[in-house]
Amino acid sequence: MINTATVVKVMCILWLCLTCHVSQAAIHLAPITVSGTITDKTTGDPVPGATVRIKGTSAGVTTNETGYYKIEVPGSESILVISITGYATQEIAVGTQTTINVALTTQASDLDEVVVIGYGTQRKGDVTSAVASVKADNFVKGFAKDAGQLIQGKVAGLAVTTPSGDPNANTQISLRGNSTLMASTSPLVLIDGIPGSLNTVSPEDIESIDVLKDGSAAAIYGTRGTNGVVLITTRKKGNRPATLSYDGYVSIQTIARKMEFLDAADYRRLLAEGFFVPTANEKWDYGTSTNWLDEITRTPVSHTHNLTLQGGTAQTNYVASVNVRQWEGLFNRSENKQLIGRIDVNHSMLDNKLKFNVNVIGRNRKFFAAPNYAYIYRQALIRNPTDSVYTYDGKWDEDPNGFNYDNPVRPIEEVDGESRATELRFNGNIIYSPIKDFNIKLLLSGAKTSELTGYYETFDNRASIVNNRKGYGSRGAGHFQDNLLELTADYSKNFGRSKFTILGGYGYQDVTREGFSAWNSDFPTELYTYNRLQSGDAVSNPFATTGMRGVSSYKNNYKLIGFFGRLNYAWEDKYLLMATIRHEGSSKFGVNYKWGTFSAFSAGWRISQEAFLKGSNVVNDLKIRAGYGITGTAPNDPYMSIIVLNYNTDSRFLYNGTWIQPVEPNRNSNPDLRWEKKEEINVGIDFSLFNSRLSGSLDVYQRDTKDMLYDFPVPVPPNLFGSTLANAGRMRNRGVEVLLNYEIIRSRDISLSSNITYMNNKNTLMSISNDLYKTSNDFFFAGHTGEPIQVTTHRVKVGEPIGNFYGYKSVDIDADGNWIIEGKDGKPKPIDDAVPDDRKVLGNGIARHTAGWNLAFRYKQFSLNLNMRGAFGYQILNFQRMYYENPTIKQYNMLKTAFDKVYGKRELANPLAYVSHYIENGNHWKFDNITLGYNVDVSSSKYFKQARVYVSGLNLLVLTGYKGIDPEISRLGLDAGNDSRDKYPTTRTFTIGTNITF
Amino acid sequence: MYKKILILLLFIVPAGCTNLDEEVYDLVPESEYQPGTGDIPSIIAPAYTVLRGMYAGWQGNFDLQEEPADVLVTPNRPNGWYDAGTYQIMHKHDWPSNQWQPENVWQHAFSGINNANRIIFQIEEGKIPVTSGKEELIAELRTARAFYYSVLIDTHGNVPIVTDFRDGSAPSQSTRQQVFDFIVKELNECMPLLSMEVSKVTYGRFNRWTAKAILARLYLNAQVYIGVTKWDECIATCDDIFNSAKYSLEESYKTNFVTENHNSKETIFAVPYDEIFASQNSIHMKTLATAHRNVLNMAAQPWGGNCAVPQFIDTYDADDTRKKDTWIMGPQYSVSTGALILTYRKEVPSMNGTDYFDGYRIGKYEIKTGARGGLSTDYIIFRYSDIKMMKAECLLRKGLSGDAALLVTEVRQRAFATTNPAKATVTGAQLLLGSVYQYGYQEINGTISGLEGGADIQFGRFYDELGWEFAAEGHRRMDMIRFGVFARKSWFNHRPKNDGKLRTLFPIPQDEIDKNPNLVQNPDYR
Repeated sequence: MINTATVVKVMCILWLCLTCHVSQAAIHLAPITVSGTITDKTTGDPVPGATVRIKGTSAGVTTNETGYYKIEVPGSESILVISITGYATQEIAVGTQTTINVALTTQASDLDEVVVIGYGTQRKGDVTSAVASVKADNFVKGFAKDAGQLIQGKVAGLAVTTPSGDPNANTQISLRGNSTLMASTSPLVLIDGIPGSLNTVSPEDIESIDVLKDGSAAAIYGTRGTNGVVLITTRKKGNRPATLSYDGYVSIQTIARKMEFLDAADYRRLLAEGFFVPTANEKWDYGTSTNWLDEITRTPVSHTHNLTLQGGTAQTNYVASVNVRQWEGLFNRSENKQLIGRIDVNHSMLDNKLKFNVNVIGRNRKFFAAPNYAYIYRQALIRNPTDSVYTYDGKWDEDPNGFNYDNPVRPIEEVDGESRATELRFNGNIIYSPIKDFNIKLLLSGAKTSELTGYYETFDNRASIVNNRKGYGSRGAGHFQDNLLELTADYSKNFGRSKFTILGGYGYQDVTREGFSAWNSDFPTELYTYNRLQSGDAVSNPFATTGMRGVSSYKNNYKLIGFFGRLNYAWEDKYLLMATIRHEGSSKFGVNYKWGTFSAFSAGWRISQEAFLKGSNVVNDLKIRAGYGITGTAPNDPYMSIIVLNYNTDSRFLYNGTWIQPVEPNRNSNPDLRWEKKEEINVGIDFSLFNSRLSGSLDVYQRDTKDMLYDFPVPVPPNLFGSTLANAGRMRNRGVEVLLNYEIIRSRDISLSSNITYMNNKNTLMSISNDLYKTSNDFFFAGHTGEPIQVTTHRVKVGEPIGNFYGYKSVDIDADGNWIIEGKDGKPKPIDDAVPDDRKVLGNGIARHTAGWNLAFRYKQFSLNLNMRGAFGYQILNFQRMYYENPTIKQYNMLKTAFDKVYGKRELANPLAYVSHYIENGNHWKFDNITLGYNVDVSSSKYFKQARVYVSGLNLLVLTGYKGIDPEISRLGLDAGNDSRDKYPTTRTFTIGTNITF
Repeated sequence: MYKKILILLLFIVPAGCTNLDEEVYDLVPESEYQPGTGDIPSIIAPAYTVLRGMYAGWQGNFDLQEEPADVLVTPNRPNGWYDAGTYQIMHKHDWPSNQWQPENVWQHAFSGINNANRIIFQIEEGKIPVTSGKEELIAELRTARAFYYSVLIDTHGNVPIVTDFRDGSAPSQSTRQQVFDFIVKELNECMPLLSMEVSKVTYGRFNRWTAKAILARLYLNAQVYIGVTKWDECIATCDDIFNSAKYSLEESYKTNFVTENHNSKETIFAVPYDEIFASQNSIHMKTLATAHRNVLNMAAQPWGGNCAVPQFIDTYDADDTRKKDTWIMGPQYSVSTGALILTYRKEVPSMNGTDYFDGYRIGKYEIKTGARGGLSTDYIIFRYSDIKMMKAECLLRKGLSGDAALLVTEVRQRAFATTNPAKATVTGAQLLLGSVYQYGYQEINGTISGLEGGADIQFGRFYDELGWEFAAEGHRRMDMIRFGVFARKSWFNHRPKNDGKLRTLFPIPQDEIDKNPNLVQNPDYR
């Protein structure tokens, strides 16, 4: 029965088509000119840039800025197709009309958006794995350091933190928590399919950012996919007619929060009170008042300018952009100057059978080759505020008895330096489509980064004095080449109600890093700085140490080869399946395990396509999906599996009166080294309700990491070294992610929308052993307080989450001001009697809950965006309090709170110690970004297509009980939650900017 | 269609594009290393170079032997040196099983042992083209291995004996007795094959006389190590060294410790250091005050840490020039301007409240003008006077105090030659007296509370002689244990534990116990 029916249907369609053609041929009328205006049905605003096309042809025009179009159609039977992203496509028969005005309705569902899924795109509605997509319209507005900051708080499960005020520092991103023990937990970042970093392209040049979150989505990237994949798509397609747009902004930064140290008046008061007792070597009051932090900081002014030119024809179009940044850092002389240029050209020929794309990105970066600002900052904090920058005779004031106690202004002023990096990325691809829906694509890319640094310490630099050398100069150069070849083929075909897409491919990546540096000292003049290294005498002095002169060079390489395939299947857009496989090999792995296979499978059921929901007023779209996928992690460094020998130049062997170089292995080798694998199950639901006003998704996942790479402790003897990089151990992460978009008000003059993300992650270390590598302990220690406390801060233990603080739990203070801690038996005891067994878990440094809430409000031409985010359920070890809130350490400046009564009893008299007193709750809610924009009405202008001005404030307010500078700290690694004492003061950034399109 | 694509892909992808061999540029893959005979010195070097970090390097065996003893102390100063109480722990004998200084020596010693095993294996396998003297080379490496065990028997006692590089399994633990027997057997087997030469060829390497010195020190401490005295064996071994006539006492004590001390006739075995090529000797950096840089125009900023225990300084005879040859005391003037830079005083108030210039500093190892972070002075492990004193001690303990006194007098002569030569002579009767060390707890004002003195120490005078001759040479802990002082007396801020645990062995590192289930903790730490 069914078969017969289908046959009849098909025949009917065929007949209809035939008739159509016949009639069209028969009634050949004269061409008609049609014109009209395309508007937004809700707001009534004109819609510029909409495509008006004649159905069945490629002929079409685009509406101008007033929404107006004019097109010549073959005859009254013609049908116009009006389409533009964000609106539902409409078809209108021309008939006798010569004026056709169309009001477009905003797209019924964002599930029709295109999502980048790696080696291709998919309609969001067809996606069966956990993928998040953020388009340019939804990016965080205002000052953006890099791509990471554009999507801060926008993607559930993606933690984006800005842990440093350093203008050269990137944002830190991590997805779904820690799923590996090794250092790197950063996702793979691909720019138009090519590996790069978050700052490879300027934020202004990005069209969309897609994030592959779960294993079923990321498995196609094999050993690079475990931490997720961030796919950055740059602006691609040129406009017709050509447009030129300018984005520019100026920012200033102010210190938002800093720790309050004693000032000069406090010192004098404490001296008078007898807290400081003068001795022959230390008089405490040096007669001046200096705010050391002010001496090394400034109010930085930064500006950014971006020009984009887009244009072309249907066959050939281009996007070209130039981005200039002149950023100042908070610390004197710190800066980041950058120029990025990008050209993207598309050309299609042979009736669209052959398409070319060429993309060139050039980036020039220049900054002050800085002294060690972290050290300088620490010196400014701890320096006596009664001391001065200069002595009476105008020299740098220094304390001869201080060790690691230096005048902080001197190392900024008594150096010269510049660091320059040039990054050039060429990539091109050719797509050949011999038949309909069959594409063969060849992608070739070469990314090259060259760095050149120069650094000079003057004769009067403290390091020159201390090391008895007349100046010190160095130069260094590095070269980094990442070559990629990818060949893919895909084919789509509909069979009745079934739709297939298959993809197959091969990828070859070859990465080489090399470089050299040279340094010298004892220069005859200061005038050469680092530009004439050969003039330094140290190079020809046989008694000069390697600290005074030397050369070094390095080179290494790794390769990654993959074969991959993907199959997508959909039945009536209702039942969706995806299967991927990648067979991948890496040169980093042991000879016994060069190759691995990663597979994934996911399925979705679009319930809204079922008869019982179709046409529902409430449910516009509803899909449930589930996926399973395996991804991997390769070791960070190459050559870890093979035995390599090193000649040691620094610790030589005296052989018959001559110092010769020993040749020795530098690690235990492991020929069984292989990829760490992560198996992930993800179940999710996507929905769009109430005329798409409420949409969102919910994902639940479990990721099990197996064969975990770890520097496994091995006994000495018999091993040469105490640890071996090996695959041992298992870890589990479970979590929930929620994304909710709600258009609260949607009207012509006023709109208000809200976007909420939430994630919760629970991490458990399951094991750190396997058959080969067994430990008698199921834990190890991580994190370190540094000098002079010198203890570990964290314990990583089987059955517990990563990030657990482990140390003595302080519960009281005794009459002498020493800590009372809670012993193993739960009873209080003096810290002097504490034994290592008394240590306890004191909290955890990884947030259990993170959330973001973004509000976008528009009233006529005004727009107001508010981005907020927060993290809850975690602790922070406040290093600044641990080191500087202790009145026994008089030699260095201390926090004003050092004199607070501890436990309400008395001042602390205990030497510096790591106890739970310094561990605080990190819960916080940040009002991070508020942007007020105004769209200037340019409808009457001859030249302007669009103009917008805005002001924005970044890091405006933090609601928290945390006493440190900023509770948003690095959440990566095994020592998560350690808030370094050298943490820069956080800054508040105020920006004024404009976007203009001509 | 899928097949077609696959075929197409296979056609286009060149066959070479599946090659994943590592291309190594700045390292030497062992598989490609084909040494010639000229490479042998570089190959055997790792069996020796480990000694440098192990002795005068940061918290090496020098510190492990001195910090728990009564000559040197590292008090908390205004510029630091609390470091989680690690030096206080060493001073007070509070070390837990994860104390890092003893673990440092374990790691270094086993690195030496494992490297020796690795090189022996490579020679035996024929991977290293040794054309002549193969047996001799293996004997030298076995002696190196025995030396490392002679350190471990003193510090950790019950350690695993490993001799086969191929055996990667977790080794079992041996008793101190087994380790003792192993060292004796190895040294005696190797002895005939070891070079008798004393020249720059054998300097810093294990020749026959060094092997004898290792054996002599092992016998001297046999009562501590295995509960059996070996005085006669020690004397016989010392006599072998005397009879070789290869060494003699230097006229000047200082010659042993000058920057170019490799020329000393007295040195039997030293770890060579060099300020450029082997710069780990940082004894001066740890001891000098930071401002001392301006005294010597140093090319490094010293750290300002350890100093002499005042009670030990008080034991010196006023005419004993070894005091000024060992310690930096009093005012220090700039070598270039003559200006007073700082003044070191003898007093050290306590482990906690100590100022920059409190306490005399180690000046034994010459710190030349313009000195850098690493001294070129070689660190002496065995010198001729050591052999003299070992024999003297055995004679004394055998009741031959008169013979012992002759040897001690011989060693003392140069110390009094310029001041009061008559004082050099000691008698057997004197050697039988107690120690002049004023043992007891030092209060902040420098007074000794609960004065214990040293009169009760058997052969205390001889023990004092060892202190004066070998102060700051990493001997003191061993000597204190042998003379029964280590766990009994109070000095500076140290008080005896009196808890039935002598702590004359350090704990087996907890890390290693955690990694190797065959290891059992030493009794005092269970």
